[in-house]
Amino acid sequence: MSNTSMSNTAISNNTLTVVDREGATHDLEWEPDQSMMEALRDNDLPVLASCGGTASCATCHVFLEQEVFDTLEERSEDELELLVEAKGYRECGSRLSCQVGFSRDLNGATVTLAPEE
Amino acid sequence: MAIQDPVVIVGSGHSGVAVAAGLRTRGWGGGILLIDAENELPYERPPLSKELLKDGAPDESAVLRKEKFYADKGIGRLAGVTAESIDRNGRTVLLSNGTRQAYHRLVIATGTRARPLTVPGAGLAGVRSLRTRGDALELKQLLVPGARVAIIGAGYIGLEVAAAAAAKGCEVTVLEFQDRVMSRVTSAPVSRHFEQLHERHGVRFVFGAAVTSIDGGRRAERVTLADGTVLPADVVLAGIGVIPNQELAAGAGIDCRDGILVDGDGRTSDPAVYASGDVTRFTSPIDGASQRLECIQNALAQADCVAAHIAGQVAAEPEIPWFWTVQHGVRLQTAGVRHPEDQVIVRGEPSGGKFSVVYLRDGRLAAVDTIANLSDFRTAKRLIGHGAWIDPLLAADPGIPLAEAISGTPNHSDADLTAARS
Repeated sequence: MSNTSMSNTAISNNTLTVVDREGATHDLEWEPDQSMMEALRDNDLPVLASCGGTASCATCHVFLEQEVFDTLEERSEDELELLVEAKGYRECGSRLSCQVGFSRDLNGATVTLAPEE
Repeated sequence: MAIQDPVVIVGSGHSGVAVAAGLRTRGWGGGILLIDAENELPYERPPLSKELLKDGAPDESAVLRKEKFYADKGIGRLAGVTAESIDRNGRTVLLSNGTRQAYHRLVIATGTRARPLTVPGAGLAGVRSLRTRGDALELKQLLVPGARVAIIGAGYIGLEVAAAAAAKGCEVTVLEFQDRVMSRVTSAPVSRHFEQLHERHGVRFVFGAAVTSIDGGRRAERVTLADGTVLPADVVLAGIGVIPNQELAAGAGIDCRDGILVDGDGRTSDPAVYASGDVTRFTSPIDGASQRLECIQNALAQADCVAAHIAGQVAAEPEIPWFWTVQHGVRLQTAGVRHPEDQVIVRGEPSGGKFSVVYLRDGRLAAVDTIANLSDFRTAKRLIGHGAWIDPLLAADPGIPLAEAISGTPNHSDADLTAARS
């Protein structure tokens, strides 16, 4: 898995710690023009994102820590409908990563990939 | 076998790019070269007939991967270049820039093109089809307030453009040969629902319409139908289906039949040549039907099969095929491939704006259409994958969760039932 260098370009990027489905952790850089899903996918994490980020498929489902989750805007009706039926849904914590935009507040956050269906 | 030659991927749509990315994810250490007929970064297709056409929407459409991604992954790109022919014995492909590119494995992911109108006048200015970003931007320019827009074909593309045009203040008429919209992909209750939705937004329909000519001076001015009806039209959009871009394969003697024939690993009749995405025809693992699927789910699933096979690995279990469209802000999501003879059960009241239609085949859930109802979509996708038997009476009651309408799974074991429901 990619573990991008933290030098030079890191100034404007966030870092994310990702826990994959085997429990292994990966540190990656999240660039400001990426959604969280794009950051995961472009760093080789197994996120299918088969709808391209339009909140249609739930293949980019992740769990966020409560304190991170609480800083985000509420989930849209579509996102919630997809998540509620998803495997391992957490009322506090489940997000479609395609709906989580870049924010400085999320620097250093830990993201856990939800189980595959 | 010259492993130093790259995997050459012809076509940089969703499937071609996913093959390239998937090879790297799967640890492929050899070269990868993407051939792209267009001259820009590969981009998302779904927004072209939706968001991109909207007033005030930026002309850029989302790219599939950022430029840096290709560089970081060591994926070479040749943009503005097409593949002209394959020398299968020499394992080379002749490119439009005159060079000959050797390959270790060749992947054809050339997609489809819009089926062209063949009636007189189809070449007049103002007559358009929609497939590429360039097509979308040209069409966007024509959709101005008051423009009279005739759309031939009431499939996804025609209806999505109808919605965009109506929202921009165009006078929109949809001409459809069948007696309802989206007749190829959905049942009558869903068709009627979308017809009414469009009519509420000012779109007119003419069903049973056979276009015989488009007339005008230099530009389209009117459309004539077989029954003599003449409609004034400044813009004519043909949304009458697609043709697989199989010529590269067919010209090299690779088996094609309305699509390049591939096996479950994405291999063509030449073991060194794969094909992936909309251009392929394959046997459905679910019902044994020969099919061509035009959807991103299939483009990505086949790409994974190809990448896995080339890398000597096992592909991931694919999702059930699924499709979506958005018209006037209303989302239709379909999972599974419906057959016209399936039993049709409407869940909920269409007039309420949120309902589902489930399709049973021999008692099993075969497909579903959900209208503004993503929770049924998710559940149904899972149940279709399990081959679940459904009780029609329970399924017809929207107050009962769809997962509670299961009457059995193929093995009938309690464990299977529990797995399907959860």
